[in-house]
Amino acid sequence: MQAQPRCFPRVSISPVSVALSTLMSGPNGDDMPSDSQNMFFVMLVVFPMSIVVCVQLALHVFGDLLDSIIVDVASECHRIVRLGLERNLDEEEEELRLSAQARARIADPSNNVEANGKYVVDIFGQTHPPVANEIFDCMNCGRSIMAGRFAPHLEKCMGKGRKARLKATRSSTAAQNRYSRGSPVSTYSPYSSTASINRLSNGNPRVATGECSNGTVEEP
Amino acid sequence: MLKNRRQSVNRPPTPDLTDDQAKVLTLQEVINIKLIESGEKEQLMELVREKLTECGWKDEMENICRAYIKKQGRNNVTLDELVRVITPKGRASIPDPIKAELLQRIRTFLVSAAL
Repeated sequence: MQAQPRCFPRVSISPVSVALSTLMSGPNGDDMPSDSQNMFFVMLVVFPMSIVVCVQLALHVFGDLLDSIIVDVASECHRIVRLGLERNLDEEEEELRLSAQARARIADPSNNVEANGKYVVDIFGQTHPPVANEIFDCMNCGRSIMAGRFAPHLEKCMGKGRKARLKATRSSTAAQNRYSRGSPVSTYSPYSSTASINRLSNGNPRVATGECSNGTVEEP
Repeated sequence: MLKNRRQSVNRPPTPDLTDDQAKVLTLQEVINIKLIESGEKEQLMELVREKLTECGWKDEMENICRAYIKKQGRNNVTLDELVRVITPKGRASIPDPIKAELLQRIRTFLVSAAL
């Protein structure tokens, strides 16, 4: 800030113009207009506005700018927190830390993963037995089954195995028996075919189809 | 009574078309208008924002905000509260070189605008 303006009572054009041109760094970079009347006008406008007021004004403008910026920052932060986009608030921080710990434990070479007996250690430090050992009831036959043995059990229970097929066909041929008592020989059902009749005539006292019980089976 | 029924809106009295008192704007308002009109205010804002982000002031303020919100509980904080909390600290912690440069630019503009 320059000191000359204090001596403005003794007004002369040239020092004022020098002062003003040093102050100005306007957009076009022009020198002061040399019109003397303009000068006079300018002095009336500018210099009654003393330096103190100028500084005050500048501070006021600066304060305005700063307030706007502060409100912007605050509103941005407020919005992020209220929308839940802020990851580091409270609980999530705990989770992040825990997962970072787990990761560190894996990367730690002192933990042998493979050679630890039969058991494999996962990232939370838990071990799982090779066969699942939870016990529940089978929905087909109603027995208590261990989870790891459930699939083989279901195979037997529902029909893939030998004994299961027997069970199934026995009940279906019994039904067939009731319907086909008096009918001729040529009625063959596709499923209760030769194989099952064979087996039935082996050990079963009950005769499945009366006509074919002589022991010989006619293959179609 | 018929007239009363037609008034559907509460309207303030229409101002006089004859403008006998010229509107007196304070110096501050005049300067503000000039700042905005010339685009200088926008430029200054961008400049200040950039500088304050660079020097870390903005991050400091955000940390203060987050700490305050954490203490008060996430859903109990209003924007007004936040602004009230940050403003004194924010104003005080502006780095001096940035403040000086900005004041210089504003003073320059004031002088050029007064002419």
